[in-house]
Amino acid sequence: LSGIRISDFPKHRAYDQVFFLCTKTQSYSRPSYFPWRCIEKILKDDASEEKGERARMASFVGAIAITDLVKTTLGPKGMDKILQSTGRGHEVTVTNDGATILKSLHIDNPAAKVLIDISKVQDDEVGDGTTSVVVLAGELLREAEKLVAAKIHPMTIISGYRMAAECARNALLQRVVDNKENAEKFKSDLMKIAMTTLSSKILSQDKEHFAQLAVDAVMRLKGSTNLEAIQIIKKPGGSLKDSFLDEGFILDKKIGLGQPKRIENAKILVANTAMDTDKVKIYGARVRVDSMSKVAEIEGAEKEKMREKVKKILGHGINCFVNRQLIYNFPEELFADAGILAIEHADFDGIERLALVTGGEIASTFDNPESVKLGHCKLIEEIMIGEDKLIHFSGVEMGQACTIVLRGASHHVLDEAERSLHDALCVLSQTVNDTRVLLGGGWPEMVMAKEVDELARKTPGKKSHAIEAFSRALVAIPTIIADNAGLDSADLVAKLRAEHHKEGCNAGIDVISGSVGDMAELGISEAFKVKQAVLLSATEAAEMILRVDEIITCAPRKREDRM
Amino acid sequence: MAAVTAAQPRSSKTESYVDNKRKEDIRQANIKAARAVADAVRTSLGPKGMDKMISTANGEVIITNDGATILNKMEVLQPAAKMLVDLSKSQDSAAGDGTTTVVVIAGALLKQCLLLLTNGIHPTVISDSLHKASTKAVDVLTAMAVPLEISDRESLIKSASTSLNSKVVSQYSTLLAPLAVDSVLSVVDPAKPDMVDLRDIKIVKKLGGTVDDTELVKGLVFDKKASHAAGGPTRMENAKIAVIQFQISPPKTDIEQSIVVSDYTQMDRILKEERNYILGMIKKIKATGCNVLLIQKSILRDAVTDLSLHYLAKAKIMVIKDVEREDIEFITKTLNCLPIANIEHFRAEKLGHADLVEEVSLGDGKIVKVTGIKDMGRTTTVLIRGSNQLVIDEAERSLHDALCVVRCLVSKRFLIAGGGAPEIELSRQLGAWSKVLHGMEGYCVRSFAEALEVIPYTLAENAGLNPIAIVTELRNRHAQGEINAGINVRKGQITNILEENVVQPLLVSTSAITLATECVRMILKIDDIVNVRIMKWQSTAKYLLSSRILYGGFFLNFLFCLFVFFSKLCFLVNNETIHMQHAHLTIQALL
Repeated sequence: LSGIRISDFPKHRAYDQVFFLCTKTQSYSRPSYFPWRCIEKILKDDASEEKGERARMASFVGAIAITDLVKTTLGPKGMDKILQSTGRGHEVTVTNDGATILKSLHIDNPAAKVLIDISKVQDDEVGDGTTSVVVLAGELLREAEKLVAAKIHPMTIISGYRMAAECARNALLQRVVDNKENAEKFKSDLMKIAMTTLSSKILSQDKEHFAQLAVDAVMRLKGSTNLEAIQIIKKPGGSLKDSFLDEGFILDKKIGLGQPKRIENAKILVANTAMDTDKVKIYGARVRVDSMSKVAEIEGAEKEKMREKVKKILGHGINCFVNRQLIYNFPEELFADAGILAIEHADFDGIERLALVTGGEIASTFDNPESVKLGHCKLIEEIMIGEDKLIHFSGVEMGQACTIVLRGASHHVLDEAERSLHDALCVLSQTVNDTRVLLGGGWPEMVMAKEVDELARKTPGKKSHAIEAFSRALVAIPTIIADNAGLDSADLVAKLRAEHHKEGCNAGIDVISGSVGDMAELGISEAFKVKQAVLLSATEAAEMILRVDEIITCAPRKREDRM
Repeated sequence: MAAVTAAQPRSSKTESYVDNKRKEDIRQANIKAARAVADAVRTSLGPKGMDKMISTANGEVIITNDGATILNKMEVLQPAAKMLVDLSKSQDSAAGDGTTTVVVIAGALLKQCLLLLTNGIHPTVISDSLHKASTKAVDVLTAMAVPLEISDRESLIKSASTSLNSKVVSQYSTLLAPLAVDSVLSVVDPAKPDMVDLRDIKIVKKLGGTVDDTELVKGLVFDKKASHAAGGPTRMENAKIAVIQFQISPPKTDIEQSIVVSDYTQMDRILKEERNYILGMIKKIKATGCNVLLIQKSILRDAVTDLSLHYLAKAKIMVIKDVEREDIEFITKTLNCLPIANIEHFRAEKLGHADLVEEVSLGDGKIVKVTGIKDMGRTTTVLIRGSNQLVIDEAERSLHDALCVVRCLVSKRFLIAGGGAPEIELSRQLGAWSKVLHGMEGYCVRSFAEALEVIPYTLAENAGLNPIAIVTELRNRHAQGEINAGINVRKGQITNILEENVVQPLLVSTSAITLATECVRMILKIDDIVNVRIMKWQSTAKYLLSSRILYGGFFLNFLFCLFVFFSKLCFLVNNETIHMQHAHLTIQALL
């Protein structure tokens, strides 16, 4: 028996009990431990714990397994993965996005879960570098494993890593380029960053087109990082090149029958109210009458109530009414008679966004017309994209709002395109705030590795081993990029390292030609913020996992209902 | 017992299985699976292609030649094979026709890719070269295409019949092709001349007669009979038609209601009131001069009652009931009228006008036809007839393809030769181009060119000709500059295919090439399949199955049966019995 318990594999389950026995004998033989019985009373049945060396091994194995899974997706020549859902319908997703892959995995290993979490955080914070962060953390752990095997205390490794990370960050800070003052140059920086981000994704063929789209969309935001204002609509059909950016807002709904299809200077009331009937919501409420005409009267009264409600809505002086719930035939006709454009059953996301961009509020009562904020836009009209008719709101209150309409061959392509574009938008919007830019293509890693190496030489004591290991982990990233492209990584990385010994060098891996190239000339750039986040969160995650010396698995919740 | 019960719920967490197979294996497995799908539909390509009979899980039988339909019903599981199914769906939505072609091309490309991969070329290099080749291919095709005027009805009919010729209903192509052209042309909006919304063409299927009896109706057709209760009229000239969304039945409130009857006289009165209530409504309807009522189906209460039908018949108003809500938009658009949701709003200006509304008996059923509509909207209806359901369904699918072909031509007005001519020409030109390219790229483009020959090859093969002889001959003719030489399947030889009137829209060919390439590139780039998120119930079943094999104990057998039984109960609720039934059968076999 190896000392590792990988509970990812069902067949290993059989070993569990054997483990148990081992632990027992061991504990008895060591008098310094508490008697086993005590622990047995502390933990419930079926809960298990792993200690010291073994716990650490389990973490390393889990983390490294996760790293190996995603590392082939890294870089412009990274491969995709099929995610096959084993649930109903066996849905298939094809993706290159690290965060998406990791999110969908179902993992039992605690260390692996930590890695998945940092990738999620990276996704939320900066949007890109989700694979890099996991790979770097994995490589750090891989190095740490060797050090631990060489009897270096985890705490020493951790403090070495900390020093190295700080030093690496400073090295990057020294080399950043900031073109904040020069608008022209800054825009070209943004284009470069967008293209670099997109080059590893499905959009790589049309990356210039999409980089332009993303930059335009982000520039409209004028520095806010609120990506809510950018709406992405996916419509199958056409090719990726047909995707376009449109100002304003597009709602994928139909205009009611017999209502105007085009409104200028629209005043919009966004509502979430029942437009079927206002039902009495008391349980068991019922009407008792003794004749048919009275039923008819009540029915008439109900109708009248609806008419009142519509009248109140009309009282707001609007010419467009958007409701989240259904609008029944009767009120629909009333709206049509009043010449008002009514849109029913807009989804929740849709109306929240609509309220946001048109500057309105979502209303649910209509008694005080003066207190309700109406939305405004210059023009509402029906447009046709591909096969479908959609409603376009242009000239909206919130000027920065825009819509990107994605076209593509199939749903797989569209979904992946959306994920890629989302990454690019996130990075760009972050870069607009933090305008510092670095070169890409393994350049930052090499710069960091060089500085960290220097530091290792200067540092006395065991820590220097850890610092050296940190530098090796950094170099692993260009190595993986080269490997994924099917290049001779050992040769390339050695060349790259030699290049970097010259002062102020811009060398990185040019994957397309398969050689070392000048990143500044090739226009491969990355945002400083992304790199910094990758560096810091990977180090933190590695540190966290290294600190662990005991894993306690709680007893699973019992399902009484099943047996 | 404790160990087992505990192990069971935990299994749901631990079923995530990381596949450690070599990457090459995954890619090869994907390519093989995808090619298997392509091979399955290959024989249905072309005018002499064969049909497939598909018997679905619920016992329904479908006979079809349409690639998209075959693949759709195949229920493949392998993810890469599924992508091919999606590919044909995309072609269906992009161009409507060429759904088989696109899959066959993708299969051939994958075959070539496999060769390239074994030669050690990096997948991304292949993928990039394929993209370049496909862009070039589209340029070549565009250069070959012949421009077309939308007024040129003859050419439109030619291309529609090319599409129809490969279908079961090919002998009716002389009838269906002009029909498809006319119906598309009649819904083209002069304001937006290159947009066609196929939803404006309604297809009504009616059993009986033969496909010959299929007709285009300038107006509306309802697959329903007029209400006959109490001898209501079934034919109405100078009809004034109202589309109503309210019900002509005793009143019903939204709140629960009950009428309390305390004595005999009251009962009489209630009946009388009900009668008066309905009579009042009908009088209002009659007052506007309306004489045909289309009543929307209602789920909350009866749309009409016997009583109201009786009164309507007395008032000489023709009634068609149970019109679906989705159809209301089409109907109002056609009739140029407005739907009426309340009796109070029943006004004359909301009515539509038609010369004749009549009930016609056809075969075993009856339909209602509305013709001579005043100010008719830009819609049209096609009534398909056929001797059995299978023929009708296939005729509908074929007609849909033909409509799509015409629509393609309206939106992109270029024609291209059929019969394998464009593919062989592409193959020749790309082959020549590959010689001027450097390195891997040239190699990959050449493979792309070779892969395209699969279309003429398959056409010839399916027609029972010698494929090698035909393809080499075809290549020869193209090398001599006859770019329109193609396989004439009827004569079994090579002729100028444009003169034979075998033409198809450019959009079909270009989108087939670009979509197939895109799909192949995606498959190439995949190096791993990860199973994610096993549903809890299923995973437990799986775990139990695997542990049964591990422990082999009788106790677990018992447990498993129990589990299956309970989960069956649960699945019944979720409508997922099929899966579990399968598991159950396995168990029975094991026991």
